[in-house]
Amino acid sequence: MSYRIPIGPYHLALEEPYKIEVECEGETVVGASLKVGFNFRGIEWLAQRKNITQAIALMERVCGICSNVHSMTFCMALERIGSIEVPERAQYVRVVTAELERLHSHFLWAGVAAELMGFQTLFMQAFRLREQVMDLLESISGNRVNYSMNRIGGVNRDIEHAGVVRAVVCDAREVVSQTLIPLFTTDRSVAARCRGVGILSRDNAIAYGAVGPVARASGVDSDLRRDNPYLAYNSLDFAVPTQTSGDVLARIVVRALEMLESCRIVEQALDQMPAGPLHVGNIYSVPAGEAVVRTEAPRGEVFYYVESNGSDIPARVKVRTPSFANIPTVATMIKGNDLADVPLIQAAIDPCYSCTDR
Amino acid sequence: MSAEALREKIGGNWAERADGWWLRVPADKIREAARTMLADGARFATLVARPDGAGQLRLSWHWDLKGTLLSIETMLAAGSRVPSIVDIYPGADWAEREAREYYAVTFEGRVSTPPLMLREGDAVGILLGPEGRSQ
Repeated sequence: MSYRIPIGPYHLALEEPYKIEVECEGETVVGASLKVGFNFRGIEWLAQRKNITQAIALMERVCGICSNVHSMTFCMALERIGSIEVPERAQYVRVVTAELERLHSHFLWAGVAAELMGFQTLFMQAFRLREQVMDLLESISGNRVNYSMNRIGGVNRDIEHAGVVRAVVCDAREVVSQTLIPLFTTDRSVAARCRGVGILSRDNAIAYGAVGPVARASGVDSDLRRDNPYLAYNSLDFAVPTQTSGDVLARIVVRALEMLESCRIVEQALDQMPAGPLHVGNIYSVPAGEAVVRTEAPRGEVFYYVESNGSDIPARVKVRTPSFANIPTVATMIKGNDLADVPLIQAAIDPCYSCTDR
Repeated sequence: MSAEALREKIGGNWAERADGWWLRVPADKIREAARTMLADGARFATLVARPDGAGQLRLSWHWDLKGTLLSIETMLAAGSRVPSIVDIYPGADWAEREAREYYAVTFEGRVSTPPLMLREGDAVGILLGPEGRSQ
């Protein structure tokens, strides 16, 4: 006999509301339906009523974790429409900020996953490192969450103390390589909870449009930083970790290895960063036109379509966040799994419901 | 398969832009293009709807193949329908539901189009009209 269990929209372990109705036979999940929209703020509607300077701040509030990537991608779309060349130093500053954001986002995820597995020590380690990266971002930008680093044609602030950035990145690399990765990959409790759990096949990853670490853990070798380079990524050497098993453990491994690559990218960017201006001056509108810009956020591809009619108010802003693409895969991942594994499988896609709803 | 080979397989006059390759087709060609995209491993990225300023809607479906953006667009007269691709790409489900909420687009071939961000009973088309709402 099957029965349905409604979970949410408010969860014990999640700050953000969303609802999943799980259909079970005994302890085994046989189906699920998802409901989002509890955080809907109408950001695309609002964007068409703000001038582009205000819209940059608005876009930064699409997500409370990867806020920088949204204002950056929005600015890049306007720069493409206006054929605005961003100074080279500003491109490197954007790369460093984006990779620090990826680091703190992945540390957040590692901590959440560790806590869900009952691994409090690992949770404390991950969050200690996350705090350091967030403190660093605050020292660069003056802000802890919404950094306000991006403007059309460049950035608002420089990275003045490269040595401090290097020290934090060095500490992060040590903890990731000597603590996080060994524990996540060799600990028997972690393996028992994660191996073979919540599998997303490569075919399903493509059909559902999964992006980022979720797709790469299912064997989809894709990363926009490498495949369609933007900013200074073309000049930086980094690997794109992939796995083929498509389970929770594969997603853990991909993100852990990505943290090491982010450390490499930051260090190279600091070494190569040329002197020069940070922006091209004040820009309050761009000519009529449209552009799509995609960037690789911590959770995967961020897709922005921006249309300008030549005024200072955007004619259309479409935002497709990575969690919008990844969350529907949960319905197929949890089929055939134990009900008790549902929270961990959900967490393993590193969902962000606020940016999904916008 | 490369993005170039996939474009040739789909056919038509693709235009190269700074953001990728674009093709305009009649609405009834979308499903055929989607099937070809899936067969050759292209990932569905999203569906973008916006008014064209002359009373029509522009709909564009976007795919990614190895970092190349492939966009197929169609023009839709007010009140007309467009075929759903959800049975081909399940990942298009939320994108179609959102297009319905924002621009009141009707997708043919779906069993139902429940609200995604809005609540049951809310008026659809919240980005249409001078106040951003069709009615």
